[in-house]
Amino acid sequence: MTIFTCKSDLTSMMTCIYDAWASRKGHGNIKLLREPVFQQELFDEYIHVEGDEEKAEKVLRSVRAKISPTAYIDVLYAAHSCEEDALDTIYRFLVLGFAYGAKVSSMLSYPPVMRLMELKRNVGNEAHFMHEFTRFTSIDGKVYVSHIEPKNDVLALTAEHFQDRMPSEYFLIIDDRRRSVAVHPRNEEFYIRYLTAEEAQSLSETEQITDEYTVLWRTFFDTIGIKERANPVCQRNLFPIWRRKHVTEFM
Amino acid sequence: MNTNRQMSGGERPADANMQNVAFVAETVPCIIGQPALEEKLRILADAAKYDVACTSSGVDRKGKEGFLGNARACGICHSFASDGRCISLLKILMTNHCVYDCKYCVNRVSNDVVRTTFTPDEICQLTVEFYKRNYIEGLFLSSGVLKNPAYTMERMCETLALLRGKYRFNGYIHVKTIPGAPDELLATAGYLADRISINLELPTAESLEKLAPNKSFQTILNPMGKVSSTIAAHRLAIGKDARMERSMSNRYLEKNIFQSARLAEKTGSVQLPAPVTGGELGRPFAPAGQSTQMIIGASGESDYNLIQTTQRLYQSYDLKRVFYSAYIPLNEDADLPSLGTAPPLLREHRLYQADWLLRFYGFEADELLSEEKPNFNELLDPKCDWALRHLELFPVELQTASYDLILRIPGIGPKSAGRIVKARRYGSLTYENLKKMGVVLKRAHYFVTCGGRMMYPIPIDEQYITRQLVGTNQRENWQIAHQNGARQMSLFDDFGVQLMS
Ligand code: SF4
Repeated sequence: MTIFTCKSDLTSMMTCIYDAWASRKGHGNIKLLREPVFQQELFDEYIHVEGDEEKAEKVLRSVRAKISPTAYIDVLYAAHSCEEDALDTIYRFLVLGFAYGAKVSSMLSYPPVMRLMELKRNVGNEAHFMHEFTRFTSIDGKVYVSHIEPKNDVLALTAEHFQDRMPSEYFLIIDDRRRSVAVHPRNEEFYIRYLTAEEAQSLSETEQITDEYTVLWRTFFDTIGIKERANPVCQRNLFPIWRRKHVTEFM
Repeated sequence: MNTNRQMSGGERPADANMQNVAFVAETVPCIIGQPALEEKLRILADAAKYDVACTSSGVDRKGKEGFLGNARACGICHSFASDGRCISLLKILMTNHCVYDCKYCVNRVSNDVVRTTFTPDEICQLTVEFYKRNYIEGLFLSSGVLKNPAYTMERMCETLALLRGKYRFNGYIHVKTIPGAPDELLATAGYLADRISINLELPTAESLEKLAPNKSFQTILNPMGKVSSTIAAHRLAIGKDARMERSMSNRYLEKNIFQSARLAEKTGSVQLPAPVTGGELGRPFAPAGQSTQMIIGASGESDYNLIQTTQRLYQSYDLKRVFYSAYIPLNEDADLPSLGTAPPLLREHRLYQADWLLRFYGFEADELLSEEKPNFNELLDPKCDWALRHLELFPVELQTASYDLILRIPGIGPKSAGRIVKARRYGSLTYENLKKMGVVLKRAHYFVTCGGRMMYPIPIDEQYITRQLVGTNQRENWQIAHQNGARQMSLFDDFGVQLMS
């Protein structure tokens, strides 16, 4: 078995798919994994693939043109999944996709298709949770900062949503788990970069900021529940404790 | 009034600390008799909490530079309150002063409660500041009747115009209209808001007259009809179908209540006149449609009566949603259940389930209940109940059955039905891959075959299946009846997930 490995950014993953395909070792004899690879098998061959913009673009372009725009979106979502088999699943999905064309997306009884849809769903759901439960604190009414800790890498999807929602605000969304940040300057496109240790440290306190509106919001939150219908179990099911970590009304 | 503080797109003052100074000076309790903002919020959120609708759904709108906010058709929920209900909007009353005396309401004129009124700016500031912190999707503004309906509605419109204009708010607004307000103001509200609603409160004219002496079916249905015609006219004018979009799944149904509806005939096509203000903003009229709410358990109507009324409301007024609110006794009154009576949560839950069946599953009210059987089964959900009365249709072969019929199988929702129909085009179905596709067969397996086989060898026998399903339902029913408000949880289990594909 030959294992192609790469970093987990989109360019590297797509390049990895390109090289694995071009290796002509036979789809059954290879596997694609993102690094770090934890358990190396003795008899497998490991090949590290470095990201290459051109190759990556080629792969994405053919997905759009030869399979479908829908498949393209599905692949992009799946690529942000935290699951170990995400990259390999995308590869298997593309093998089918290049053979069957657009209808691959409906072939749910094929395991790679089903799995890809599942990965996409998980990423989409988590992004949706971020739209719901991300909370910003205001630094002097000038900059809005939030901290998130998603399992999947949904920072870009999240930032895209907030960019549309508040195009004329300066905001930061910090992924504490990956130490990455989406920076949105007023009336401009957001960009993503990694934080240095010092930056991360100095931004870590922003969640503790309390102002008039955090107080008012907690008041509203405590008031709006109907006590004759009190139901902590239901509340916990819909809003699990582990999702509350960065949420103002529970802090 | 500090004009430069809140505009999302406007110029910010150079010294941000000045803002805070201004804020403190403005909102700390000062004028005699006027509570501080926090206290006002407590009073006016507390008075608004009995209104059920808190969805921010029904309209897609992109954000735009210089403005604050967008809207997503699926709606976005931001938190869950201690009762398990979703919080999506800043749900408040403009005022809890009220000259009316509806028997079931805390704010009725005959009650002795602390009263207060928000200023338009206070409402706007709360909305935009909460919105920027992603606490809410927008504003739900309702109100008691201050002086008279026209005066109240005018104040509400003024507030919304300020929010859309000066505060440049582009997020979601749901406004509740005041029965008896002039048409021009209704029109204004519709142009400023995304959803407009007027509460029917009770399903029959007699109950309404008895419990809400200042309201009448006329003052409620009349504006509802006009709003509905105005929405339809605007939809036609911008090249859309006159009727509101429904779930995707309805398009695959051969029959559903919305097709058989005749909108214009029933409502007449009297539209609202031109708005007083707001029209100049160039907004569509109530793009997320209108909704209403009925109180459950304050008067003697049957479930049959309620779902018939519901169906009629959907058909005649093309309402986007009908909400139900289990009555919580707040006032001592001979005409109402006594204080301490538990709110009928299970009944409310059954009605919501039936409402989903009408809206997404192609059922009609008369298929679910009848004069002879006017109330839902406590032990079984309406769909299981229906299936058990129609065992001659089962088992359904998943490989070949129509979408309509698959959707009628207990435990199968539009999402699963869609996946089944899609997947079987490219290969035969097995229980194994159904499971992998995320189709849950816990309830369904009593009613289906796949490739000619049932999942377990069981008889299609009413007694037997009823016992099994009651067992499956029991825990859930108990929770709803005794632990309060679990309905949201199971609605999410059964249906809610489809909203976030
Ligand atoms: S009109 Fe009736 S329901 Fe509305 S606030 Fe006044 S008393 Fe309450």
